[in-house]
Amino acid sequence: MKDTVELVQRLSAHPDSRCWYVAWNPKGSLLASCGGDRAVRIWGKEGDSWECKSVLSDGHQRTVRKVAWSPCGNYLASASFDATTCIWKKKNDDFECLTVLEGHENEVKCVAWAPSGNMLATCSRDKSVWIWEVDEEDEYECVSVVNSHTQDVKHVVWHPTQELLASASYDNKVCIYKEEDDDWECRATLEGHTSTVWSLSFDPEGHRLASCSDDRTVKIWKECTPGDGEGDGSTDTWKCACTLSGFHSRTVYDVAWDRLTGALATACGDDGIRVFKEDPAADPEQPVFNLTAHVPKAHSQDVNCVAWHPQEVGVMATCSDNGEIAIWKYESEV
Amino acid sequence: MASHFSGVLQLTDLDDFITPSQECVKPVKVDKKQGRSVAKIQIEDDGSYFQVNQDGQRQKLEKAKITLNDCLACSGCITSAESILITQQSHEELYRVLRLNQQSSGGEQKVVVVVSVSPQSRASLAARYGLSSSETARRLTAFFKNLGVQYVFDTGFSRTFSLLESQREFLERFARKEEDKKALPMLASACPGWICYAEKTHGDFILPYISSTRSPQQMMGSLVKNFFARQQGVEPQKIYHVTVMPCYDKKLEASRPDFYLNEFETREVDCVITSGEVLKMLEEEGVSLNDVEPAPLDTMFSSVCGEELLCHAGSGSGGYLHHVYTHAAKQLFGMEVGELTYKTLKNKDFQEVTLEKDGTVLLRFAATYGFRNIQNLVQKLKRGKSPYHFVEVMACPSGCLNGGGQLKPVTELSNKDLLQQVEDLYRAEQPSAPEEDTRVAELYHTWLESVGAESARQLLHTQYHAVEKSTNGLTIKW
Repeated sequence: MKDTVELVQRLSAHPDSRCWYVAWNPKGSLLASCGGDRAVRIWGKEGDSWECKSVLSDGHQRTVRKVAWSPCGNYLASASFDATTCIWKKKNDDFECLTVLEGHENEVKCVAWAPSGNMLATCSRDKSVWIWEVDEEDEYECVSVVNSHTQDVKHVVWHPTQELLASASYDNKVCIYKEEDDDWECRATLEGHTSTVWSLSFDPEGHRLASCSDDRTVKIWKECTPGDGEGDGSTDTWKCACTLSGFHSRTVYDVAWDRLTGALATACGDDGIRVFKEDPAADPEQPVFNLTAHVPKAHSQDVNCVAWHPQEVGVMATCSDNGEIAIWKYESEV
Repeated sequence: MASHFSGVLQLTDLDDFITPSQECVKPVKVDKKQGRSVAKIQIEDDGSYFQVNQDGQRQKLEKAKITLNDCLACSGCITSAESILITQQSHEELYRVLRLNQQSSGGEQKVVVVVSVSPQSRASLAARYGLSSSETARRLTAFFKNLGVQYVFDTGFSRTFSLLESQREFLERFARKEEDKKALPMLASACPGWICYAEKTHGDFILPYISSTRSPQQMMGSLVKNFFARQQGVEPQKIYHVTVMPCYDKKLEASRPDFYLNEFETREVDCVITSGEVLKMLEEEGVSLNDVEPAPLDTMFSSVCGEELLCHAGSGSGGYLHHVYTHAAKQLFGMEVGELTYKTLKNKDFQEVTLEKDGTVLLRFAATYGFRNIQNLVQKLKRGKSPYHFVEVMACPSGCLNGGGQLKPVTELSNKDLLQQVEDLYRAEQPSAPEEDTRVAELYHTWLESVGAESARQLLHTQYHAVEKSTNGLTIKW
């Protein structure tokens, strides 16, 4: 391990509570965090320091589990255990709740915006994944409800360029969805993890998908193109190209593929954060990822999330069960 | 076990029916007996439990049982009601009743077994055997009668009552729409998946909008266990009434306490079997419908013209929108509507029909099928943005012809192509206007007028019950 990760700043973000998730806005000027205190906080830089700019505390009745920025950066979505998803609109430096998406039977676990900004996906403990469409008047309509998982759905993530959606579940599986004949359907089911799949991240080009799990591994999945002679066209085929095992001593809660450098970061239940780099000399069909940096006690409790800064190379944010956010600077030797 | 229920039911807590019963949270009511309190419980090798009293007496203990109604009444419910349905309402249960009938000697009174077949099931089986819907009905009549069934009816006949009552109810609601903000839109009530979902998820908010008119299945329940029982001089509990439906959720509907006759301790529909279960019966008997000699239809409760069955215009889900619309246009605005023009909105399962005069919209109706569209409808209602007077709501995408109990395609046929075939067969039957059915009109006169207004209302209408939501903190998983 030749690379270094240095702490830039530590923030008490959701005191006496858990901080569940952090998300950078597309420009990287703001960081949104959410937690067990039912609030969403917006952080901005003042000089060299990150400060709380606003607190969105009147949207949810229970824990806010995830937050997501729209690609234009003007909207923020928050998913809550109160079974709703709030859409916030940025007005100057403030945020107002534009609409509340209802329909999930119980806890909403994740929300994600499609690259076009016209669609939104949510998932829930009710085992379903919902796809919503946004029109010009900021009206949201449900376009599809897909029930492909048999358990709690933990995470949803869109492909960086295509209208393709992936979900991760307590049923140990990952599902890939596409629109088919005016409805969405599950096109592929990725099986291989032996316990809950907690999070997902596409690589910068969208050719590969990383998944992390309670089975303490990270798996890299690769789509087989029809030319590979696999699949009959009625379904898509994704196969596991490699498994990162032996690195994590507890559940891997989050995985993030850096758009800028291609490095892969993980957040782990052993309180540590890790950065992996792909060996450029390895066969692309059998990629090899090397652990290049490890911060063993990055937080005093579980690390729930890791997010790479979208513009500044090497900057990442993590958050933890102890209510803290930490900002880090990763330096690669080469 | 894979779920057979409609998508709507799968999403609500009812879905938890499908997961194994170990997670059931319903407290079982135990009848506590007075007296000795000290005893041991012994578990035998076969898993049965015995209570061993201090004096050494052994007594077998009964298993705690959760009934379907317990499940439906419990919002925390996580039990496998599907297995309960399978024991209470299955073709095996029909076989059991038929066997008991055959075994009973002359002294005992046999039960009268009545089977009422839905037009959608007829069409589904017709597609499989390459027959017309009416021919399928004649052959099904023969098949069931060969098994010992006495009467085979058509729920197209009872649907005429549902359509007429829906038309009347709409006019009545339209008249009080100014005083009563929840009079409109009137939401169709024939789909049990939708009803269960509405009761469990949207409760008191949504229920006032839902039409109180009974579904065709439960109209037939009234006809068979009330009119027919009296006419035949048979007590209702001595009639075993089976319906053949395109839908598993209909089993839930038949099990509703609202359709249980307390006085006679019997359900109006005792057993619901799906089109697919009829196919299973044919296969178990080693019979192809193609080889069955057709039998004449039981015309007492069948919509027929000669030896051909009739259907209703409009959708394959009963045509509620069509009939309420044409009737309202005529009664309210004096406009005769020939052909309806359906405008497809977001997707093929959300369609709209408007009645306009001089550029003003007089009536705006919609057909909303499938869970995603139901969602948008409910959200629109909640925000006060629903522009509709009437909505034909169905839980299944494409409606009842595509119900979860219908036959699955064989070989190369796609689901879409099969659905088209079934729809063509369904539509091939001659449509009849409910208002012109003289036999139904006669039944209104002879049967319903004789029982009195209140009884007639109960026989033709029903009610809905909001289910209290309980959140159990223990079931939360991060």
